[in-house]
Amino acid sequence: MTESFKRSAGRKVLSRSSAKELGSVSHLLVDAQQRRIAAVVIGRGKKAKLVDWEQLSGFGPDAVMVVDEGALRPPADEREQAATEGKLELVGKRALSEGGTELGKLDDVTFDTDTGALEELLIGDRHVQAGALMGSGSYAAVLDDSEVPSP
Amino acid sequence: MGVIGWVVLLVIVVVVASVAFVVIRRRRRGGRVIAVKEKE
Amino acid sequence: MRLLMTASQIRGLPVVTVRGGEDVAEVRDVIFSPEAGRLVGVTLNKRGFLAGRSRDVLPAEAIHAVGQHAVMVLDASSLIAPGDAPDDVAHPAVERNVIGDDVLTEGGSSLGKVTDLVLLVGSSGEVVGYQIEKTGGGRGYIPLPAQLAVSGAALVVPNITEEFVKDDLVGLGASVDEFRARLGLS
Repeated sequence: MTESFKRSAGRKVLSRSSAKELGSVSHLLVDAQQRRIAAVVIGRGKKAKLVDWEQLSGFGPDAVMVVDEGALRPPADEREQAATEGKLELVGKRALSEGGTELGKLDDVTFDTDTGALEELLIGDRHVQAGALMGSGSYAAVLDDSEVPSP
Repeated sequence: MGVIGWVVLLVIVVVVASVAFVVIRRRRRGGRVIAVKEKE
Repeated sequence: MRLLMTASQIRGLPVVTVRGGEDVAEVRDVIFSPEAGRLVGVTLNKRGFLAGRSRDVLPAEAIHAVGQHAVMVLDASSLIAPGDAPDDVAHPAVERNVIGDDVLTEGGSSLGKVTDLVLLVGSSGEVVGYQIEKTGGGRGYIPLPAQLAVSGAALVVPNITEEFVKDDLVGLGASVDEFRARLGLS
């Protein structure tokens, strides 16, 4: 099923084993080179936790199910720490072409809920295949502009 | 000093600080275009 | 129709990594070789409102692309210590700067003084023209041949350059190909 980053924000996160509510989705951490979601960030600030995509039993329209509460972990490195602070959030991120030209802002990103693979990047009313994503970080998402349709 | 005196002083301080800010930033940022000729 | 920008417009642009999406530095000085007609490298400032100069430099070989909004590098290792960079980038010889030099045609007409360089947006770093302060006053743009003889206090350009003095970058962009065709180069 196709889901979007914007729609997923704030979605409840539950433990499959205990049905306990663990928090809600605050950010989705992306591996740009593999073009997939690497982890889900739950909660905000110092208490924020990450869950690797592989530890999800399902990403549903009403809730995100984690196999077990033990799968929640604190940020392991600087990049994950930045993710918990919202610095790597793709929604609203500046979209920059590989050639150094600004393309606009990423309004939303869609992904496959079974695999976590990114599908499309939405910039205004332009739909860009996720394959165009070359890298992303705190400043910008860098896109291969040969794959970006003209506005 | 009356209230007006303090307000004027405040305005002056703000203006001077803003100008100093801009000048310092411009000097630290620098940046020139240099087209270096080969040595003759 | 080529997309152009001036060298001055590169100053202050963020240096962004393609893989990391991070602004790792900011452009300070922009250094060219007028003879080779291309960008040689840039010196850097740190990012941040009051941050100062950065020791690292960025030679042209390490630049992935120059665009209107950012200078792109593959990753942060593209920024190198001045000791590892060509001398022209690490210690630019400011006293041999052509900015301010006269532009003379081969026939001896003065077109004006160089105020800026015009380059192609993209990965070539190629200089395609100069911005000049015209002898009669006002700003103009002239196309350059691919190779230019530079010596003394003036730059010497082909006579037909005089017919190609444009008022803006768009005009220059439209005329570069025709200019080069007329010169018999391309």
